[in-house]
Amino acid sequence: MTAVDSPVLEPFAGRPVVTVLTDRCAGCQECIIRCPTGALTMDAARWVAAADSSMCVGCRQCVRTCPFSAITVDGPLQVAERVELEPRHPHVLRGDLSEIRPGFTTWREVLAEAERCLQCPDPTCAKGCPAHNDIPGFIGALRDGDAAGAQRILRRTTVLPDICSRVCDQSSQCEGACSWSLAGGVPVSIGRLERFVAETAPVAPPARHDGRRAAAAGMSIAIVGSGPAGIGAAWSLVEAGAEVTVFEKDATPGGLLGWGIPDFTLPAAVADRPWRQLQEAGVDLRCGVDVRPEDVEILLADHDAVILAHGATQPLRLPVPGNDLEGVTDATTFLHGARAALEQGGDPAAFLSRLGLADPAANAGRPVPRVLVLGAGNTAMDVARTARRLGLDALCVDWLDERFALVRPDELAESRHEGVEVRFSRTVTRLAGDGRVVRAELARTAQPRRDRLPKVLGGDPEVVDIDLVVMAMGYRGDPAFAPTLPGTPVRRTAAGLPDRRWTASGIMANAASAYAHHNPVGTLALGRETGLDAATLPVLDRVWVAGDALVGPSTVVEAMTQGRRAAESVIAGRPSRPGRPRQRVPRRVLVCYESQGGTTARAAEAIAASASAAGHRVRVLPIGRVGLAELAAADLIVVGTWVEGLVVAGVRPAKAMRAWLDGLPRLGGKAVAVFCTFAVAPKGALPAMRRTFEARGAVVVAQAAFGPRERRASGTFGPTAFGSELLQRAWPGERVAALVE
Amino acid sequence: MATKMEELASEPAWTPVKLRAPQRSGLEERFAATDPTLELSRHPLVARILKNRKFQFLLILPNQIVFWTVISIGLAGTVDPGLNFGTAITWYVWFCLVFVMMVVVGRAWCAMCPFGGFAEWVQRRALFRRTQKALGLGLKFPEPLARFGFVLPVASFLILTWIEEFFNIAGPGTPAYTSWMVVGIVSAALLFFLVFERRTFCRYVCPLTTLIGTVGSVGSVAGFRTRDRDVCLSCKTKDCMRGSEDGYGCPWYTWPGSADSNLYCGLCSECYKSCPEGNVGLFLQKPLTSVIAPRRRRIDVAWGIALLWGLVLYQQFNATSAFAPVDNWLNSTLHFPHYPDPVDYLGFIAIGASIVAAVSWAVGRGFASRAVGFVRTGHFLDRSSRFRAFFAPVAYGLIPVVGADYFARQLPKFLQSAPRVVPAIEHIFGFSSTKSSLYSFSLMTNGWIVVTQVAVVLLGTAAAAWATWKIAGRELVPVSRNAIGVRVATVTFALACGAAAAFLYVLMHAAD
Repeated sequence: MTAVDSPVLEPFAGRPVVTVLTDRCAGCQECIIRCPTGALTMDAARWVAAADSSMCVGCRQCVRTCPFSAITVDGPLQVAERVELEPRHPHVLRGDLSEIRPGFTTWREVLAEAERCLQCPDPTCAKGCPAHNDIPGFIGALRDGDAAGAQRILRRTTVLPDICSRVCDQSSQCEGACSWSLAGGVPVSIGRLERFVAETAPVAPPARHDGRRAAAAGMSIAIVGSGPAGIGAAWSLVEAGAEVTVFEKDATPGGLLGWGIPDFTLPAAVADRPWRQLQEAGVDLRCGVDVRPEDVEILLADHDAVILAHGATQPLRLPVPGNDLEGVTDATTFLHGARAALEQGGDPAAFLSRLGLADPAANAGRPVPRVLVLGAGNTAMDVARTARRLGLDALCVDWLDERFALVRPDELAESRHEGVEVRFSRTVTRLAGDGRVVRAELARTAQPRRDRLPKVLGGDPEVVDIDLVVMAMGYRGDPAFAPTLPGTPVRRTAAGLPDRRWTASGIMANAASAYAHHNPVGTLALGRETGLDAATLPVLDRVWVAGDALVGPSTVVEAMTQGRRAAESVIAGRPSRPGRPRQRVPRRVLVCYESQGGTTARAAEAIAASASAAGHRVRVLPIGRVGLAELAAADLIVVGTWVEGLVVAGVRPAKAMRAWLDGLPRLGGKAVAVFCTFAVAPKGALPAMRRTFEARGAVVVAQAAFGPRERRASGTFGPTAFGSELLQRAWPGERVAALVE
Repeated sequence: MATKMEELASEPAWTPVKLRAPQRSGLEERFAATDPTLELSRHPLVARILKNRKFQFLLILPNQIVFWTVISIGLAGTVDPGLNFGTAITWYVWFCLVFVMMVVVGRAWCAMCPFGGFAEWVQRRALFRRTQKALGLGLKFPEPLARFGFVLPVASFLILTWIEEFFNIAGPGTPAYTSWMVVGIVSAALLFFLVFERRTFCRYVCPLTTLIGTVGSVGSVAGFRTRDRDVCLSCKTKDCMRGSEDGYGCPWYTWPGSADSNLYCGLCSECYKSCPEGNVGLFLQKPLTSVIAPRRRRIDVAWGIALLWGLVLYQQFNATSAFAPVDNWLNSTLHFPHYPDPVDYLGFIAIGASIVAAVSWAVGRGFASRAVGFVRTGHFLDRSSRFRAFFAPVAYGLIPVVGADYFARQLPKFLQSAPRVVPAIEHIFGFSSTKSSLYSFSLMTNGWIVVTQVAVVLLGTAAAAWATWKIAGRELVPVSRNAIGVRVATVTFALACGAAAAFLYVLMHAAD
């Protein structure tokens, strides 16, 4: 973040003053357990919070976390100024691929910035980070001068700190969710500190755990795609002792990291690091292999599981007249070609010639060719800035309002500094030319709110002369995979009430900070969580999907984390290819139920007791507390409900259960058992539940209905007997209790 | 050992969350006396009813029907207040029943109140469903006003009572006035529910909230409380305060984990529904527990009781023959030819409250130990002083007698005229008149009514004396030089208050 981009936030006058509204303070201590400085304690006599303003730094974490709005803080933020570093813009742009954004180079800078961190007990920055890096932890280690310790802390959650620290949009992730940012101030420079750690104590190669005791010993996993999601998955799997084979359709690995992000943002040496290390660790990388949907079955025959991380590679094209003219291309083609042209030994003139453009260097005095880039996101900026390095003029147009732009704010500032013309609230309505595009007609748009699509306004279009059009409006997944991967792409929006663990942290309370450019960081973070959870669930039997292939275009850190989550799910689930003997280990059984009067809950408890007696790890939860993460952490899901309806008509699962079933994700290959409790007759309740699960790819191994007779202790086939029966059906012949003993 | 996946399932951003440990020291001393043990919701049927989202809706619905009927019949029905359903049900029956509910249950009326209930339906955009998005602005109640706690709703009660006396609404007088008063309260409730979050109206504005809250603390329903306070303190989500998929966050700004009285429990059962641990229950307690046991004495409650005491004294005085010359003289002097004169209205209330304050001050002056220090800084609710240390316990001790006095005030209307509700209902359908035998039927003669009133006040006085004795023993003795003296002095004052109220009822009867 440059000084130019950081919003100027005037502090209040005076010191912070904390006031507890004792009429409303319920003494719940939500503020006390989260106060970074210990300025809040309990007044035990009155059982309300008591504040010591002299210890308050004004971060307002207490204000955001108080459930009853019983606390206020007035006054300035007690924080030093952020250590800012100016971008290193080259004197001559043409052909210069040197990195623009500097990192901290001295411990003095690092310690000054690290001291700004509050070490929040419930760090919102960690929730804002898609990888949930322990940000206070690694910054704390830096304060102690321990870069290696900081690296070890980061390594628990990320294998790409050097890359993420360069390419992440921190303003809408960790830094946007920093307590200082949420309080209206300037956040800790988390990205730069992470980069310093990665440069001072480089990421060690995967530590492969071989031998029979390794978590994934004997497993063979195929990963399709070598981008960030593939890297994340491969890293976790190889460390767990699995044999990993990665299939990459390009000639070189890395996916987007390889060709999509120019060197001036992500130097090639940094981008290449993960694959160098993975190959050294024994990952079998097979480049130039394009895995198609029909090949998945073949992979499943040879491997225990397949993780599809093939990305979202289909460029979106603007459906306007003239989009098929010569001189209209897409960002992938342009960036691929430009990378080769600009690297050492490349031929920029030949590349420009292939695009139908004259080389400005060889045609001094003639007008410089102008590239129209459709879109003003990060990829569009990469295209435009690369075009500038080829000596071309670049104009970006985006129909979004600049307030709601998707581009990193610092990237936008740098692009403009490099001479890229960026126009928001404009859209192309027509491309014109005689065979080759020479003109574009631009119309104005209006977007009053972030959650509304812009409207195209009437009036005479503005005509601009152009020589090349590059469509950089985003990507989508390969449509050929759509029939194979039902339910993808997963929408990254959290439905319903936000998880109260997130609400309690305060990240949802004041998301629209000036630093985060009024991005609702809490909502964004919670939405990303949906994608991370979805990556843990198989879409088909033994098939997981991660990264852009799962959620559509996302970020490097998100894709990497999804890959890691998918790998962890594979390791925990221990799938086996046909013919390989399954390991006899305790399984994870989730018994979830919808109960009104307690009958179904008691049946669920009896089933759980049966599974637990057999040596399995069992959780019993009402369906209201079962989310994607709980489903993912189960090898067998037992679902029970009471039934509602008239005695002979309309008998079906309870309404809450029906709603829960409707919201279920894909459960490819998951073993499921269903049961219901009834008074007169279960009718169609069980078949309805069964159909729902089967439609989501689950395998229903058992079902049972318990009437008053079956629920009695002396019943013929009660919940306890059902518990034993379904375990036999899920894992025939396994007697885990004996194994555990 | 839990796997990584299981850890993720329990806490998504698991590694970096290192919350401070909540303070547990002092818990036992703070809540031991107020924690109830008899849990009503252990009974499966009660549990099932309370879990049902329609529970409160079904409590509100009958009252809603009655009150909209009151509004319409009051406006469109007969002008005879004794035969008009609106006035008959409201002033002959409802107001008296509300007191019975208060004394027995606590905030039972709040759970079924049609004013707040209607506004809450609008605010939630649902009759009983759990919706995620509220209608309205959802603002926080301004802190400078919230600081006065119960004093604000006492002010609104005084204003409403003055208006009621001015228009003789509860006499009952013109039925339309009753309708307009109800419409006014519903409109105010709706406005507040649409502007502010939760039940801000009920907590900070409702004219009845102080009366119900304080008198209700005599009741035997402790409200919704924690089963295990440790579970509440360890809870990571506080769904009972923030709301969950099953229930709303407490509309009354109350946390079952720290509730030490039924003062602010609206009995809505939302915390019971939303608690993910099933750690909330509906508890019963011994009568007067919420008066005697809480260790935290609120100064706003104390002033509320004192002012309410002043108001009921005023209402008694103005029914005596000795009051008429005073009122006439004030009316002619102040050129305000209408009852009630604002000066003597507010003057009497101030005198009543001042007597409580003055006696508390005198007891403090006479008995306070010099070794005890007090905090004189902070806001209204947070300061402490010698005066406050004595005033709050003394005022709390008066709750039973104040409640009994208000209840006794409502008895004549109920005992003389409650049967009129039957002809009033018949009159809606056009076949009843003032000639109906029930129209002029009384449940008691005037003489017996006075006896009943005095008996009620004496019962309240006895309860107040006992409560004051216990409170003084717990709270005043430790800060006093003379343990017996301070107890005797405060109990004597409680007895004197009761005797004065009882005597006034005799005088009022003499005036009749």
